[in-house]
Amino acid sequence: MGGDKIKKDKRQKREEYRAAIRQEGVSELPRKKFYRQRAHANPFSDHQLIYPPSPDQMDWSSLFPHYVVDEPQDQQTPAPETSTSQDLAPLKVKRISKDVEVADIGCGFGGLLIALAPTMPDTLILGLEIRVSVTHFVEDRIKALRAQNDEAKLYRNVGVLRANTMKFLPNFFRKGQLSKIFICFPDPHFKARKHKQRIVSTTLNSEYAYVLRPGGIVYTITDVPNLHEWMVQHFDAHPSFERVPEEEQEADPCVAIMRTETEEGKKVERHKGEKHVALFRRLEDPAW
Amino acid sequence: MTLPYHLVKVCGSIVFAAQGGDIHSFSSALQHISTWKYPAVQQADESKAPSAETEESPAPEGPPAKRRKVENGKDSVSNGQPKSKKNAQAMPKRPCALALTSDNNTILSADKFGDVYALPLLPTTTTTTTGSESAPSPLPSQPQSRSATPSTPTTTTTPAAGQTPPLFKSQANELTVHTKRNLRALENQKISLGRRALAEQLGANRPQFESTLLLGHVSMLTAICVGTVSVAGGKPREYILTADRDEHIRVSRAAPQAHVIEGFCLGHEEFVSRLCVAPGGKAEVLISGGGDDDLFVWDWVKGEVLGRAAVLEHVKGVAGQEEASKVAVTRVFACTWEGRTGVFVVVERVPALFHYDFLEDNTLQHRETIPLPANPLDVDLVEAAVAAPRLLVAVDTATSTSTEGRGSSLIALEKGEAGWRQSRVEDLPAGGDITMSTTELQKILYSTESLRKLSDFD
Ligand SMILES: C[S@@+](CC[C@H](N)C(=O)[O-])C[C@H]1O[C@@H](n2cnc3c(N)ncnc32)[C@H](O)[C@@H]1O
Repeated sequence: MGGDKIKKDKRQKREEYRAAIRQEGVSELPRKKFYRQRAHANPFSDHQLIYPPSPDQMDWSSLFPHYVVDEPQDQQTPAPETSTSQDLAPLKVKRISKDVEVADIGCGFGGLLIALAPTMPDTLILGLEIRVSVTHFVEDRIKALRAQNDEAKLYRNVGVLRANTMKFLPNFFRKGQLSKIFICFPDPHFKARKHKQRIVSTTLNSEYAYVLRPGGIVYTITDVPNLHEWMVQHFDAHPSFERVPEEEQEADPCVAIMRTETEEGKKVERHKGEKHVALFRRLEDPAW
Repeated sequence: MTLPYHLVKVCGSIVFAAQGGDIHSFSSALQHISTWKYPAVQQADESKAPSAETEESPAPEGPPAKRRKVENGKDSVSNGQPKSKKNAQAMPKRPCALALTSDNNTILSADKFGDVYALPLLPTTTTTTTGSESAPSPLPSQPQSRSATPSTPTTTTTPAAGQTPPLFKSQANELTVHTKRNLRALENQKISLGRRALAEQLGANRPQFESTLLLGHVSMLTAICVGTVSVAGGKPREYILTADRDEHIRVSRAAPQAHVIEGFCLGHEEFVSRLCVAPGGKAEVLISGGGDDDLFVWDWVKGEVLGRAAVLEHVKGVAGQEEASKVAVTRVFACTWEGRTGVFVVVERVPALFHYDFLEDNTLQHRETIPLPANPLDVDLVEAAVAAPRLLVAVDTATSTSTEGRGSSLIALEKGEAGWRQSRVEDLPAGGDITMSTTELQKILYSTESLRKLSDFD
């Protein structure tokens, strides 16, 4: 463990430091221009990602500080994220009272998260984004909104994490933990050579099925007809999913939010582009 | 230089050992029986083998197609093309790890792009699809990899060129012993040397190559195995266990439900490189090793870690390795004798075999470190009609420090009263000579440590 652990601990301290800053009540909304980043990050490369070895070792307390359960509980497995190399005492992870149930995969600048948060105040919502500075933007945005709406206690149920969801979804979420997954305006990767980078594929859909509970919904939206077809084809082909009928789809309040509130959706609106929506329900696993 | 034996596989009373592109068979008394040579392995190609790799970068950034295009300018592909004209050949993605399903009918091939394909062990001779009739047969040019459906099998068949018989069938016929496991050994050895040769073989004699995409990680796969658990009053359940470079061990149902992920065994903090389901009625226990300091013991059905066993600590104990700060586990081999289970572990570039006892309470306890005269590359148990276990170890003689360590690269280890008695297998067939630099060869033989991620922090 030695060296690597110490390094990871340093990382974690930085994280905690940032988390502390966040709580100091900065209430000015961040400005996007300071957070721009190259449009694409290769999901196959290693990056410098922070992720727990397993969901049990994830410390959610800095993301959702208002949900921390007072009494820190003993961890069965030591959580390297919270330990220091000198810390020989039993390791503790601050527990939160709820599990994240809604994930926005590739959340970008966070418009969907912010719009969803007040509509489901008792549900923890997490945005996952691979680009660092975009993630920082969303972090600061949430921080500011929480400060601005302190009395109304708004936005305490929403958080963001930097993660490569194509590789590390099962590190954050246990089997069946999620009830909704949003995949909004994913990168289209037009070239056939780049199709492997698409965030929807039959093999990846097995992972979405794993973290979603039966009855849970995957929401997809895109302005690229080709990509829409691709996503429909790949979810339709996957035995763990069925398409949600249009009537039910249009009755789902999340769909309206997804159409109008994401940054990408607004851009499409300005350009008078089309938006293609498709929802898929997680089915029960078949009998053996 | 002479290539070392790098794989040993015991199939009943026959021992197979691979040396470069050759597979030698031996009796369990370790008497040489026969040698099978990989058809297309030629000296000229071998010397270029490492550089002929088309995809060496660890970051899989490949084409979506199931088959990669290989620019091949060699005229040994007798297709009448002028030598100067580059000729694009199709080849399947290189497997990283293989397993057989429990019915011995299907090869599971895990590749560096994270996908697992099922291939019939003995391919049919027709080019039409297998699997579900309803699934349309995709055009060969159509990108299928990630778009293929796991459970409604989209089967891709490489078109046959001419009347060449299927590759795997003809190879099986070459072997004196006609077991299915020897084909696996054959497959295994294709992974290392003679890859260029394989590319040519596949290009020239396009076998009928049916494959079905079963599941996929986005991370590079490193190990695959099949687990079976019995169900009271029901059929046994079969699972596919896959490990990747990003520390995951995934447990999926076997085909035709391979799209269902049952769970993960999570806890490794470095790459996982080896999986081993415990023998001796402990089919729900998995031992895994990789770049972490410890081996992990899991109840893989529940996805729970049962314990750990130190490896680095014992590596440090090996003379000359005091400075060892990390390990790369390359073999975890378990076997039972006289009612007890022994687990033997090989660590890359460490001249010893680490022997653990796997106890009734599912703990792994280091029993002894067996020093070897050179780096071990593989190990298997020779099933002889003797009470004491006899192991066969392939070693890389080039790494031996003493002259005594040179010579035969197969060592038999026999458990005696006073520990393990080592004896060289002297009756080795001639061959395995190759023109390749030691460095090149070492790069091929010791590739596991390179799975470690370099991008740690600060
Ligand atoms: C076109 S943007 C859409 C953003 C947002 N959903 C919206 O609708 O405004 C796609 C986002 O997905 C992110 N992304 C791509 N691959 C990812 C991955 N493997 N894990 C996490 N995020 C990813 C990109 O960085 C990008 O911000």
